[in-house]
Amino acid sequence: MFALRRTKRGVLASATLAVSALALSAIPAQAFSVHAETGVTATQIKLGITIPLTGSAAPGYSKIPSAMQAYFNYVNDNGGVYGRKISLVVKDDAYLPTLAVAKTNELILKDKVFAVVGALGTANNKAVAKSVNLGRRGIPDLFLNTGYSGFADAKKYPTTFSLFPSYIMEAKIMGQYIKENFAGKKLGLIYQDDDFGTDALVGFKQAGVKFDVSVPYASGSQSAQSAQGWIGKLKAAGAEVVVMFGVTTASGAALATAAAMAYKAQWILGSVGGDATTLKAVGVPAYVLTGAMGASFLPAPTDTTDEYVKFFQGINTKYNGDAVFDNNVLVAMNTAMMTVQALRAGGKNLTHASVMSALENSGSSFASASLSPINYASGVHVGYSGYWFGTYNSAGELKPNGGAYSVYTTDSGAGAIVKSTFKRPALPANGLPTN
Amino acid sequence: MLKRKPAAQVQIDMDKNIARRKIVGATFFMFLGIALFIASNIVDELRVYQGATVAVYVVAISSIILLTGYSGQISLGHGALMAIGAYAAVLSRNYWNFPIPLTFAVAVLAAALFGALLGMAAGRLSGPYLAGTTLALAVGLPSLANQFKILGGEEGLTYDVGFPPLSLGQDFTQYKWFFWIAALAALAITWVIFNILGSRYGRQWRALRSNPTAAALLGVHVARSKVLAFTISSGIAGLAGALMSMTISLVTPSAFPLSLSFAIVTGAVLAGVTLLTGSIVGAVVLVAIPEVTAALATHLGGSEKVTSNLPGLMMSTLLILSVLFFPNGPQLHRRKTRKS
Repeated sequence: MFALRRTKRGVLASATLAVSALALSAIPAQAFSVHAETGVTATQIKLGITIPLTGSAAPGYSKIPSAMQAYFNYVNDNGGVYGRKISLVVKDDAYLPTLAVAKTNELILKDKVFAVVGALGTANNKAVAKSVNLGRRGIPDLFLNTGYSGFADAKKYPTTFSLFPSYIMEAKIMGQYIKENFAGKKLGLIYQDDDFGTDALVGFKQAGVKFDVSVPYASGSQSAQSAQGWIGKLKAAGAEVVVMFGVTTASGAALATAAAMAYKAQWILGSVGGDATTLKAVGVPAYVLTGAMGASFLPAPTDTTDEYVKFFQGINTKYNGDAVFDNNVLVAMNTAMMTVQALRAGGKNLTHASVMSALENSGSSFASASLSPINYASGVHVGYSGYWFGTYNSAGELKPNGGAYSVYTTDSGAGAIVKSTFKRPALPANGLPTN
Repeated sequence: MLKRKPAAQVQIDMDKNIARRKIVGATFFMFLGIALFIASNIVDELRVYQGATVAVYVVAISSIILLTGYSGQISLGHGALMAIGAYAAVLSRNYWNFPIPLTFAVAVLAAALFGALLGMAAGRLSGPYLAGTTLALAVGLPSLANQFKILGGEEGLTYDVGFPPLSLGQDFTQYKWFFWIAALAALAITWVIFNILGSRYGRQWRALRSNPTAAALLGVHVARSKVLAFTISSGIAGLAGALMSMTISLVTPSAFPLSLSFAIVTGAVLAGVTLLTGSIVGAVVLVAIPEVTAALATHLGGSEKVTSNLPGLMMSTLLILSVLFFPNGPQLHRRKTRKS
């Protein structure tokens, strides 16, 4: 009965170890303070983000956290938000929902952040909403890096505030553009086979666009090899205009493979997968991108005549190690500026509730680089609603079609698509919000 | 000359031994259950959540200990069996609306069934060939989910065990609920394995592990015995998979990477692969490693990229060191040293 004796002593040792480990860990529980909101002290506001820094979707998006922190550092150097300095805890989720859940748990339970800002990915955010359930915990989930229309449901996601126009809006506006400019052409579509892509299908249907060939791809499966399959199908169907509704690495694989297979089409890139510098970095030759079309709600990152772009480029040089200034950096700094205004609007006595009610009440008047209006209101948690179209020139710059930005707005339902008359608020003095 | 006891007396002594062992075991499990219950009310939410993860790993590591430590078969594919359990549970929940305890039973049955089939193949293989076959399973199987719409692709399926019952109070968090379910399952399954290992099957497996030929001569049906071990181990792995998915409310291929299969084998080796109770130590180590490496990376000023890769490095190092210096696990080694 050697196993018996062995087992008994092992049992005791293991049990003692497990119980004492649990007991020891009880100490930090008393560190809970009843006075201030979690993540806020007299000198600091702690925010968190989950984003792919590694893995198949990382190129491009991995630049977002440092660019956000760069703007926060600029604000911190100029007095912070009511004397509190903003810090951003960054977690790599490799674009995997499982990791996003685990890392958000860490942000909430271990790092004890005040709010999550800019978490990226439709599937990831959905998994987090279900499992970590920021809504039930009352923790603000601000300015997600996704346009999934489902997050507009303020009852289901009470603490979630989207910033981007929904993918349905994007597809609707894109659909109208296609109908007006490419009538009678054979149409092709590549889309990510999850809620991100499903949104696009809904939008195109709303706009009355029918594709002659649709190629879904599984998230994470994008590669030069799988892209050969996509292009093969498009080529066989003779598609003349191809819409690419996927992440940047997927657009990159599609464009590079199309060039290699000598397949010529008019490409239209969705806003998610249309960042020129990332596309170049993943191996798309400049000549392939030239003439492709793209959609955006922000000004082009190369447009130095835009006061916001110019200002953010300055911050990028001084605070972000002069990284290549692309759409990712612009999106990140714009999100950071929105965040600072939300925190300011939350008041000196900053709480979860105060930030969220401030966003509902005054969020629509915040200064932002976007050419689309901001629509926050009571129960309305989706920010932007509009897009403009442009064409990439040989330098990879997205130039607005017709020479000037003409923004069209719509909703995620059956609403009409209208030309926007929105006039953007001027950049606050020195780029420091005073709201 | 030694005086031999009559056979009947030996039988009585053995029965007494077994009875005493069962009482000690039952008392211990009750004590542990109460201790865990108290602990879950004292510690903060992070520790409760980690406790739930520890409980899941305890179940997973136990399945390896039963298989490798007792029946002498190796599997690098238990992550895939966990995936089967998890998908079976979530499908039975989402399509037939099974109550939660029943979904766990479905997980066990589905994984056991698959394990039985695998075990039949495994019966013909041993050592590196068996390791290779199961490894292929771990690599290939979870990504199959991307091929079938019903399995939800990379985005996965939501596995919702629901909020804790209101009768437990307003402050009863979701994670505490997960912990209770996982800890209860871990205690129950450990108790079951404890008893199986003490039964004639356990003794057969040990004989098999030490010397299959001798075991066969003694009348042990080698192939059947091996398949049985594989089946039970797979069922337990299936339960671990369902429990793990519960803690993240999600079943997705990315929850079952190759590294998961390696992690639970590492946990079993660190625990001492022949010690069932070592599963707790192994599980605590597996949960502690990312914590330690994160602290280390912060201390050294490393980036998040470093932090996310360090645990793998540390786990591999521990595995190599453990095999080099304590091939039977640290606990067993210490005991042997003391005896000699």
